[in-house]
Amino acid sequence: MFLTWLQLRDFRCHAVLEFRPDPELNVLVGGNGAGKSSVLEAIGYLATLRSFRRSPEAALVRVDAEAAVLRGEFQGEAGTVRVEVELPRQGRQRVHVDGKRAQGRADVAARVALVAFLPDDLDLVKRGPSYRREFVDDLAVQLWPTAAVDQQEYERALRQRNALLRREGRRADPTTLEVWGERLAALGAGVVRRRLDALGAVAGGAEDLCRMLGGGGEGLAWEYVAAGLGRIAPDAAPVELEMRLAAAGARAREEDLERRTTTVGPHRDEVLLLASGRDLRTRASQGEQRTVALALRLAAFDLLAERRRSAPVLVLDDVFSELDGVRRARLVERLPQGQVFVSTAHGEDAPVGGLRWRVEPGMVQAEGEV
Amino acid sequence: MFEPPIQRLIDELARLPGIGRKSAQRLAFHLLTVEEEDARRLSRAILEMREQVRLCRRCFNVTDSDECSICRDLRRDATLVCVVERPQDIVVVERSREFRGRYHVLGGAVSPIEGIGPERLRFRELVERVRTEGITEVIIATNPSVEGDATALYLAKVLKPEGVKVTRLASGLPVGGDLDYADELTLGRALVGRQEM
Repeated sequence: MFLTWLQLRDFRCHAVLEFRPDPELNVLVGGNGAGKSSVLEAIGYLATLRSFRRSPEAALVRVDAEAAVLRGEFQGEAGTVRVEVELPRQGRQRVHVDGKRAQGRADVAARVALVAFLPDDLDLVKRGPSYRREFVDDLAVQLWPTAAVDQQEYERALRQRNALLRREGRRADPTTLEVWGERLAALGAGVVRRRLDALGAVAGGAEDLCRMLGGGGEGLAWEYVAAGLGRIAPDAAPVELEMRLAAAGARAREEDLERRTTTVGPHRDEVLLLASGRDLRTRASQGEQRTVALALRLAAFDLLAERRRSAPVLVLDDVFSELDGVRRARLVERLPQGQVFVSTAHGEDAPVGGLRWRVEPGMVQAEGEV
Repeated sequence: MFEPPIQRLIDELARLPGIGRKSAQRLAFHLLTVEEEDARRLSRAILEMREQVRLCRRCFNVTDSDECSICRDLRRDATLVCVVERPQDIVVVERSREFRGRYHVLGGAVSPIEGIGPERLRFRELVERVRTEGITEVIIATNPSVEGDATALYLAKVLKPEGVKVTRLASGLPVGGDLDYADELTLGRALVGRQEM
């Protein structure tokens, strides 16, 4: 799968921009603020309908503009697909896939796959559980597009229950509270099951890559720890998950009423990453954390390429400058076939061939062209 | 800004659902060109609808008398009740010609975000009907959305103690189509709701 055409209007620093990338390696070079990361972010947004820099939507719209428009065409095994997104400064995004209004991320994920590496990627290992939940949920959506619907419905039910707790507190009707609790358990079980499946599918590859990239022999293991429930077995059945989530929810009811929000459920779960029983979040060097983050992303890429029978688009946003020489060389060695986008401030930091593009606000131009 | 009489109409039209500023302008200027009698007929139709339409005292369907035509129809099975969110949903179920019972319109679905709790919907009236009308089965036909599902679950909880059978519309495959064309979500739901043969 590769991107053949990108058009931006009022996205970040780009008032208008058109870009026809190469189906293989593209290196985007530009100084700070030139907008090279924004181009990659836009490509990522078209594939996942959110910013991989975790920016709120309003921050993506160019200053003084009312809305940003992103258009892209991808060429895949099953033909071309055109994704168009309109991002108003206020209000909801509007997405069209091949001219038809898309309902949500599932519609896009079913057609387009993309994996992104970011400069602060070790956050995935080092920082709070939300980073790991997001990684696993994104992977699940790209593996099984309908997982996006489970996630959206869970989030919606969670917002409803939280609204009830916030508005009514202890005056909330007990039956209504019970109803939302049961719906959350049923929808949450689906979300957790997908996470366990995604982790199970990516773990083996990530462990091998850890060894290859870092040279360490300690391996990589994971544990899924559910809020209020503790460790969850990787093969837990959906019915069992639903029952346990419902029980945890019932136990947390008093605290929920006190704090006026839902305190247990998949939105509070943790994925522990371990090496020989060591929690990599707190007991690992920065270099080790970076290796694990890189291994997870690369393993996700390999997994998606295999399952979807076509390599996803790969985005490496300013990644090389953060790596030491050895890891940089190993990553280059391991760069997969397929379309790759690399951004860098200094061309020499990216020890790869490919087509070089010069980026400035509103412009992507092949180097050597005038 | 247009002349005040035109602008007033544009503003009113633009408040209608699904009508933006541009459509409102187009409609207003169109009404300026039609025969005066046509414009009168439209305004009369709006007023008459508001004056004459009320809610059925039994099922809260829209009607122009005390009870709606469905509740008045003696050939219909009074022991069967189909629960819907809005009066428009009745028309949809009726079109199937499969249902010969009566209806009950809730007036929406539970949604704390919009401040809609059970007290804002006609749950109490439904329980009262189950107690007094000899109803044996309640078929829940709320939307297959997060709010519709929660509403169905709420109904099941309040109706079970009344000793009435409670069922929910199955969600599944479109009839007459190939399995190939069913979207994955619909197919997934159909699998969950599969039936033994």
